[in-house]
Amino acid sequence: MIEVRNLQVRYQSSQGLVHAVQGVSFTVGTGQFYTLLGPSGCGKTTTLRCIAGLETPQEGEIVIDGEVVYSSAKRLVVPTYRRDIGMVFQSYAIWPHMTVYENVAFPLHESRTRMPRTVIRDKVRRALELVHLGGLENRPAPFLSGGQQQRLALARAIVREPKVLLLDEPLSNLDAKLRESMRFELRALIKRLGITTVYVTHDQLEALTMSDRVSVMNLGRIAQESSPFEIYRRPNDRFVANFIGLANFLEARVSHPANASGLGEATTSVATLKCILPNNAAVGETVVLVVRPEDITLASSQDRSQGNQLQGKVVSAVFLGDALDVRVSVGDSVLQVKLHPSSAISEGDVILLEFPADRCLALVS
Amino acid sequence: MSVATIALSKVMRLPTLLRRDAMSYAIFALTLVLVASPIAFLVLGSFSSAKIPGDLVFSGLSFSNYRAVWADPSLPQILYNTLFYAVGATTIGVVVAIALAWLVERTDIRCKTLIYAAVPLTLAMPGLLQAMAWVLLMSPRIGFVNQALREGAGFQEPVFNIYSMQAMILIEGLRLVPTAFLMLVPLMRSMDPMLEEAASTCGANAISALRKVTLRLMLPGVLAITIYQFITAIEAFEIPGIIGMPAGVLVFSTKIYLLLIQTSSLPVYGQANALAMLYLVIALVGMYFYGRAVSHSERYSIITGKGYRPQLIRLGRWRYLATVLTWAYIVVAVIMPVTVLAYVSFLPTLRLPSMATFGVFTLDNYREILESPFIATIVTNTVIMSVVTATATAVLSFAIAMVVVRSRFWGRRVLDQLAFAPSAIPGMVLALAFLWVFLQVDKAVPGVFGTIWSIAIAFTVAFLPYGTRTMNAAILQVHRDLEEAAYASGSRQWRVMQRIFFPLMVPALIGVWVWTILHAARIIGIPLLLYEGTKNQVLAVLMWNMWEQGQLPAVAAIGTLLTMVLLAITLGMRIIGFGRNLDKS
Repeated sequence: MIEVRNLQVRYQSSQGLVHAVQGVSFTVGTGQFYTLLGPSGCGKTTTLRCIAGLETPQEGEIVIDGEVVYSSAKRLVVPTYRRDIGMVFQSYAIWPHMTVYENVAFPLHESRTRMPRTVIRDKVRRALELVHLGGLENRPAPFLSGGQQQRLALARAIVREPKVLLLDEPLSNLDAKLRESMRFELRALIKRLGITTVYVTHDQLEALTMSDRVSVMNLGRIAQESSPFEIYRRPNDRFVANFIGLANFLEARVSHPANASGLGEATTSVATLKCILPNNAAVGETVVLVVRPEDITLASSQDRSQGNQLQGKVVSAVFLGDALDVRVSVGDSVLQVKLHPSSAISEGDVILLEFPADRCLALVS
Repeated sequence: MSVATIALSKVMRLPTLLRRDAMSYAIFALTLVLVASPIAFLVLGSFSSAKIPGDLVFSGLSFSNYRAVWADPSLPQILYNTLFYAVGATTIGVVVAIALAWLVERTDIRCKTLIYAAVPLTLAMPGLLQAMAWVLLMSPRIGFVNQALREGAGFQEPVFNIYSMQAMILIEGLRLVPTAFLMLVPLMRSMDPMLEEAASTCGANAISALRKVTLRLMLPGVLAITIYQFITAIEAFEIPGIIGMPAGVLVFSTKIYLLLIQTSSLPVYGQANALAMLYLVIALVGMYFYGRAVSHSERYSIITGKGYRPQLIRLGRWRYLATVLTWAYIVVAVIMPVTVLAYVSFLPTLRLPSMATFGVFTLDNYREILESPFIATIVTNTVIMSVVTATATAVLSFAIAMVVVRSRFWGRRVLDQLAFAPSAIPGMVLALAFLWVFLQVDKAVPGVFGTIWSIAIAFTVAFLPYGTRTMNAAILQVHRDLEEAAYASGSRQWRVMQRIFFPLMVPALIGVWVWTILHAARIIGIPLLLYEGTKNQVLAVLMWNMWEQGQLPAVAAIGTLLTMVLLAITLGMRIIGFGRNLDKS
């Protein structure tokens, strides 16, 4: 439904030339919920605004539903108003001089074919009911709460049933509780409508829980594009591993190449660990081992057949309610471990940690 | 589809860009001419040794005017008078305003709404009329208060003498209160009371929290307001003109006026310019410190709170005293001048109020005004001049602000500075500068000098700083998202302008327009210097002339009507403004 090819965006700022987007390419399938995830300044919002046509890139091509809307080669830019999109802004951009009804009716009044008044009224009512704002039609827009404004912005974006829905950090201005419930509500609504969606966020939890596919962006490039599960389980590089979830990093050297199932061995300063090893990793090569805190458990025995074991000394143990956050010093590094809250562990204890080989990922730098 | 789109996009983009750039250049050029030409002629004229401005030639430039001004033995006195007058009036104005603002914002004084409404009301009464009202009250010979004391209490000598520096300072000080009050209230309101509460949690009592936190944080803001008021007092012409000139107490603005209007000899334009240059330098120094104070106070802008209402300070038994003093101010500054003016407007000749005077009350003054075709012409002049000025100011300010805030035009910073520059020029100096401009223009294109258009042009330049500040802020407030959301809804550019941008700008445009009308209708300096006869006489000049001729009841009638109209406009705006604020909250 959406194709973005080799997008390049540069602009002049007070700090000099900024290369905001550097060759971003991706495809979003029909009905897919696609998320651009990354820290601020990574180029995710710029990419979204290019799809909307609010910004014009220097190079590349953007296709929406088979129609080329931007192409540097063909010197073609379709203005925003001719693109079949709906967009929700971070600030919601609710027009303060209009009522709730007028805000939602606006896109319909702007449609190229004139719509009968009754049709417009019908569509507006349906859109407002979808976002649970029915009955507030005549209220001036500034009289809405933050959550209501957010839903009004959504209603306005979907009212003309666009092919593509663009969302720019729509939940970031809501308080934590509301944000959590809106995550599920928003995804359920979008899935019910079946609209192809591009979602921009810096919140990994939103990206993981809502998306069909996630692109992690960094410094104007896509660092990795995968399903949420893959992104979390099999990060491509240290940036992605670090940006999504928590991770321990251990410097190591490959000591045994990968077998048929992809498992090999690497040696750190204190131990040799079984890990998932890329096929091209040669013996002696430096790698970084990634282990998630929640994958590490307390070993019940000295039996190492299950995977890897490491002995260390507890530096700190902090009770988090649903978990015990333990820092364990192993050799010259400190591992962060998430243990069951009932674990009887205190500072200074020497403990034996265990994690399976397939939860230890080697990244070739 | 795609072929059509190529054509469309090309057609749309190129000319829009070109047109926009050409527009930016045009706006820049217009502003440059409007602002730079008076300043240029002011400077040139100060070196011109020609007898009249029309004879200005480059070969005739010399320092003779400056020498003459410096040699004038009255110069040190004028310098001293101006500074003493401004410092005194500013002190009174700011102290009273701080007291009033603090009482209504932070204490449990009664009738707050009434005080909020009454204090700014003084603004509706032109300074010229206020000065006249005070003369009617306190003049040694005709002043009602002095007469009453003489007849009632047996005083031989007049008790009050309006024709003195002290009286001028007091009246100018009272005139500064409403503006200072309106600037101080938001300053006090934006103080986050949590900062004060934090001091309390650190063990500070109410007084020391106020002293060590609140006042410290407010100090830069108060300083900026004080300097602003000081500049206003330095530039004032109305009270020095009506009260100071007959008393022989001259300040810069009245001295320049006398140099041009003196009856004993020919006007000395060049010397007026040389004196104006000195005056301008003083105002520029004031503006420099004002700019520094503002940027300093903006460093504290984190103090803008979230609208929590602070704990009100209980005045206890002081409450009655505070209420009485507040009402004393309102009676003296607002009610008395308006009442005395209205009273005189019903009299055939001046006389003390008594039961008998109500018997001779007459509407003759009003009837004469309303039936006089001469005054009708002047009212028409005033209305046309005000409306043209207001429209030109609003449109030009909007255009400049669009370039400054929204475009990437290379000269936008310079343009912004250019539009703000007139704020540093005292009204009388700007009037003199435009007198020179129009006398030069008259040589090439006769017919502009001596018309209401010349007054409208000069006023537009004078109000440009206010207009562009307001429009800049208004355009900045319309977040780009609001327009982009419309593009994303399928709107074309002109539709976005029409449905989103323009409706959101309307309040600011109307605000600038009405503010300009209110000010153009009452300021005397510019129309007085550009006045060339009935053709371009406006109400302020008419009242000035009639006052000089001693037609006091007639002036009072005109003034009462003008004040009522200005008051009605102010109140109307306020009611509409309140409605809008209700929408926003």
